[in-house]
Amino acid sequence: MSSRRRKIKLIKCIRISLLTISSIIIAFPFYWSIVNSFKPYKEIYSFPPLYIPHDPTLDHYYVISDMAFGKYLLNSIIVGSLTAFLAVLIALLPAYAFSKYKFLFKNAMLLSVILLQLLPQVVFLVPVFKILKNLSLLNSFMGLSISYLPFITPVIVMFLKSYFFSIPKSLEEAAIIDGCSRIGAFIKVILPISIPGIFSSFIYAFLFSWSELMFAMSFLTDPDKQTIPVFLSIFVGQYQTRWGPLFAGSVLATLPAFVLFAILQKYFVSGLTAGALKE
Amino acid sequence: MKKNYGYVFCLPYTVLVLGIAIVLLTYNVIIPMQNGLRIYKDIFLDEMFKQSIVNTLIWTVGSVVGQFFVGMGIALLLNSSEKYMWIFRILLIIIPWATPDIVAGVTWKWMYNDMYGVINDILVRIHIIKDYMPWLGTPSLAKLALIIANIWKGYPISAMFYLAGLQTIDQQLYEAAEVDGANWWQRFVKITLPMLSPITITTLMLTTIWTINYFPLIYIMTGGGPSGGTETLVTLIYKTSFKFLNLSKAAAMSNILFIIILMIAFLFLKASDRIQGVR
Repeated sequence: MSSRRRKIKLIKCIRISLLTISSIIIAFPFYWSIVNSFKPYKEIYSFPPLYIPHDPTLDHYYVISDMAFGKYLLNSIIVGSLTAFLAVLIALLPAYAFSKYKFLFKNAMLLSVILLQLLPQVVFLVPVFKILKNLSLLNSFMGLSISYLPFITPVIVMFLKSYFFSIPKSLEEAAIIDGCSRIGAFIKVILPISIPGIFSSFIYAFLFSWSELMFAMSFLTDPDKQTIPVFLSIFVGQYQTRWGPLFAGSVLATLPAFVLFAILQKYFVSGLTAGALKE
Repeated sequence: MKKNYGYVFCLPYTVLVLGIAIVLLTYNVIIPMQNGLRIYKDIFLDEMFKQSIVNTLIWTVGSVVGQFFVGMGIALLLNSSEKYMWIFRILLIIIPWATPDIVAGVTWKWMYNDMYGVINDILVRIHIIKDYMPWLGTPSLAKLALIIANIWKGYPISAMFYLAGLQTIDQQLYEAAEVDGANWWQRFVKITLPMLSPITITTLMLTTIWTINYFPLIYIMTGGGPSGGTETLVTLIYKTSFKFLNLSKAAAMSNILFIIILMIAFLFLKASDRIQGVR
């Protein structure tokens, strides 16, 4: 038994070291943004590059906050939450039905759902703009969210479909035998153990709109309504980029996503660890 | 009874998305019509178009394969209910994902800078390269540099999907296999991979389509250069419509792109059917 325990400990060690090494590599670009956001310009353009600022400064952060960064942050949070909430709400039931029921034309329907995924968003910029204009939804958060939904929900449907598919049918059948209706079984049995999948979908939708630049830039022209990527894009010129405020802004832009994830992350592992499958 | 629910849940959503897709796609088919079919012949004779097809292929295969291996590897490492895992989840998944495209693009561009770039500095320090390399300066290096940046930006979605899928696998299967004397590799090949296959095929399909259609990184980091070395179909479409203002040629090219991606999606859906039929 002790050799087994030693083996488990060894595996744990290997896992943690691999995780640490990958984290250092993966997080490095973010570290680099943080470091650069505190460097004066002289040090940003130093040769060889400085890994820790010698003469740290908050100047770039002052520039950002003078430009009402908080407003753009709030706008991005509103658009992101609205989009994520609507997207999950819309996609949930179709995804479930696509995974659990057999019906005529199912594949044709699935294919038609993902039609819009097949072209880059650029292609739809002009027609979507015209549609939103006709609906008087330009310059509104709702309008921007709605314009994202046809592109986001199919992905969530596809993902949740395969997610629901990997949940054993026996669970649902057991609930029905116990007297639940189909809807009841879905709400009481399937939904609770699908929380990690739903959570992933929520994060996907939120971060999609968090990062999206082209639609946001074209549909929200009112400076009071613009989102973070649009705000950051003003620092990127064709010939010269203002690295300082850009790095400061990008550090601040990534933080809310961290907070959101840190708060919600416990749902990500719940799911089946509660022992739903032990029959 | 069973059949009804499938339609009740799926039909309204499908009809809505299909309606939007038809409106948007029709717009795209009609514009190039004004010039007749000759425009398609011109496109196929265009050298830049041919090169962009090859570039798209390299960019897509490189990115998708990279995102699969990195995503799967990270998901396996993260698949544990230990308390400290949340910090690794944030470092490994949320950092690249929550970084807006524009920020990722300029940060990588700065890191690849041949003079002040940190990547050259690190690689020289650890003796992987002897001299500073012009990462974004030659067509083949620029392709490699872009693919690495894109793997970094895109793999978290794959990792998240795989991780959510891993959570649905019944731990008892592993325990049983361990009792039978299966080592970790056998358990991975005989249990994990087959159980994950529905999610894997969906993820591969989506990442393939996304990668073909994704252009902010390319646009920000190289703008399609040097000498067209990183020009993909989508950057070409973008330039044709918004820089050269040739809307009908751009629409015609996007119709060709549409057909290509439709075939890819169809193959993936067929494969996904086969896998789900087996189980």
